[in-house]
Amino acid sequence: MPVGSKSSAINVQLTTADSLQNTPRTPTSIHVHPVALFSILDHYLRRTDSQHRVIGTLLGARHDSSSTGGGVVVEVKSAFAVLHSETDEQVAVDMEYHRSMYELCHKVNPKEVIVGWYSTGSNLNTYSALIQNFYSQETAPHQAIHVAVNTGVEAGQEAGVKAFISSPVGVFPKPENCVFTPIPVELKFHQAERSGLDLLLSSSPSTSTSPTQPSTDLEILESAIVNVSDMIDRVLAYVSAVVNGEKEGDPAVGRYLMDVLGVGIGVPGGAEGEKAQGQGEKSGFSSALQDTLMMSYLANLVRSQAEVSSRLALTAIS
Amino acid sequence: MAATSMAAALAASLPAPSAAPAAAQPTYEAIPASMAKVVDIEAEIPLNLVQLDGMVVTKIIKHAREAPATTAHGLLLGLDLDGVLEVSNSFPLPNHGNDDDGKSAKSTARHQAAMLRSLKEVQADDSVIGFYQAMTLGAFYHQSLLETQAVHQERLRHGGIVIVHDISQTARGNASFRAYRLTAAFRDAYKKSNFSTTSLINHGLTFSRILEEVPLKIRTNPLLSAFLGKLTESSTSVPTLGEKDELASELGPSFSALDLGTGGMTKNLERIVEALDAYRTEEGNVSYLTRQIARERAKAENYVAKRKEENQSRVAQGLAPLPEEDVSRMFKIPAEPSRLDSLLLLGQMDAFGKSLEGTASTGLVKMYAANAGTHV
Repeated sequence: MPVGSKSSAINVQLTTADSLQNTPRTPTSIHVHPVALFSILDHYLRRTDSQHRVIGTLLGARHDSSSTGGGVVVEVKSAFAVLHSETDEQVAVDMEYHRSMYELCHKVNPKEVIVGWYSTGSNLNTYSALIQNFYSQETAPHQAIHVAVNTGVEAGQEAGVKAFISSPVGVFPKPENCVFTPIPVELKFHQAERSGLDLLLSSSPSTSTSPTQPSTDLEILESAIVNVSDMIDRVLAYVSAVVNGEKEGDPAVGRYLMDVLGVGIGVPGGAEGEKAQGQGEKSGFSSALQDTLMMSYLANLVRSQAEVSSRLALTAIS
Repeated sequence: MAATSMAAALAASLPAPSAAPAAAQPTYEAIPASMAKVVDIEAEIPLNLVQLDGMVVTKIIKHAREAPATTAHGLLLGLDLDGVLEVSNSFPLPNHGNDDDGKSAKSTARHQAAMLRSLKEVQADDSVIGFYQAMTLGAFYHQSLLETQAVHQERLRHGGIVIVHDISQTARGNASFRAYRLTAAFRDAYKKSNFSTTSLINHGLTFSRILEEVPLKIRTNPLLSAFLGKLTESSTSVPTLGEKDELASELGPSFSALDLGTGGMTKNLERIVEALDAYRTEEGNVSYLTRQIARERAKAENYVAKRKEENQSRVAQGLAPLPEEDVSRMFKIPAEPSRLDSLLLLGQMDAFGKSLEGTASTGLVKMYAANAGTHV
């Protein structure tokens, strides 16, 4: 899933570097996990008045993904804040703080290594280049990535995430000179994290009024089923509109619908085969139903026995 | 075990609750009148709500997913204000497995202190208000959890809270977070470290009365919700069905709740059987000990009765009675067994049963929903 506005920048990749085995390949895309993103936003909220932007270290992992043409994908799994100060004359990053914090994080999760750094706001300047230079030393021999999170609090700027890698520029490479090349960035999460996001989304509109108790499984299921049935209604409305000639059908949509819905309706063995299949389905359904009911009964039995047992323990001596 | 060591480490590293606010108070400016009612230095306003920040939600989920089994635990940081405990940050604690106790306890304490110091430097909240623990299938009644919580009870303002996160339920599409604290009855029994049958009866303790649930609310700060809103905003670049664009969100709907598989059920059943077995063993131990106690007591009483009889006959014969000896020294009556373990096992069984019930009921709904589709 893309984050932030689409940019017209071309993502130029130097693929010939692959032939040199000793130099690590440059990252071709970046996956940001929600944890990292939310930590950055939280850090931004907690900045002092004098800070225009905040920076911090990104932790994560690098993989070779053969599916996307052998590019290196950098996964940003978490982030922590780093102290820094910027004035007109100089920039200072608390390197000691960065090191000790990394040690702490590394102890808990040894798989995560430094992959780069983040800053809020999307203006790249000389200081960015200097900080980038510092992080490049930290991540050597791999390239450091820079994730710029625009929080969208300033008028006229859209919230979004951009990611860059750097390359030196000029005849004599200097730390304060570099070219930031944009690379594609995506928000990525696992299924488990997804449900957490759902929870946040459901709670975000109602800011402070109702205490949102953890909802039950059934409520979640209900909303999912309602969602599916809404979708079916939409498709149905669309299809009937096309059939009635009110709207021109889009062949791409039609083919897609055929792919998705055609599977269940497929008639493999004529009428007889369908009949047998139907019967098998029915008996399978009823046996599964019995199993499930049994489970429910058993669960209730266990619970009531446990309750009775604990009550009996209270009246053992009387 | 690592669990007890964690408790010890926490005990060593946490500041005494009264010391910090009381010492710091004079240096602060006077509390404004409007805030005077909601700021309580002595922690007198009882907690009635736990407010969990969106970042903490994702942090806990991530940690719980990556840590092996249910070993993920960490500390919660935040503040309490007018009865609402705001959890604004958290960090994971290293899991030492079964290292030797002292070393891991010390390193955990060091880790925690260093982390708190670091967080303070970047203006994050640095007051510990509780801890979180990952679990599967609703079973969080573990001695380690109670011990850690009991340590917090003495050290932290409001006694601290524990937030339990159910991995298995989250995988089914329902991110589950619950906040608990110890009940007064359990605290009292724990303080006396007396879980004998009489103590349980006096305190009226069953497994459902060990922990009490505190209402929990998820909060996303405005910046975060704005960002989330931006992410879920419709994007016109995705081709959809004509004018229905407004429904398409970049996040896309999630259907993990509709998974028809019942693989979790087998696991759940296994866990129930395991808990049952453990409970049986524990009950066996308890009844063996009870029999032992009864036997020893009978022996002692027998001896006393015999001695009395003898003395009576001696008095009748005009002899001086034999001295009444201290019976308790002669017969070692074992201490009454602690019922805490069986209590916790019952609690686990109940939790497993509950989650099985939930799975079964949603399973039924899903089966009928899937079946309805085939008959259209």
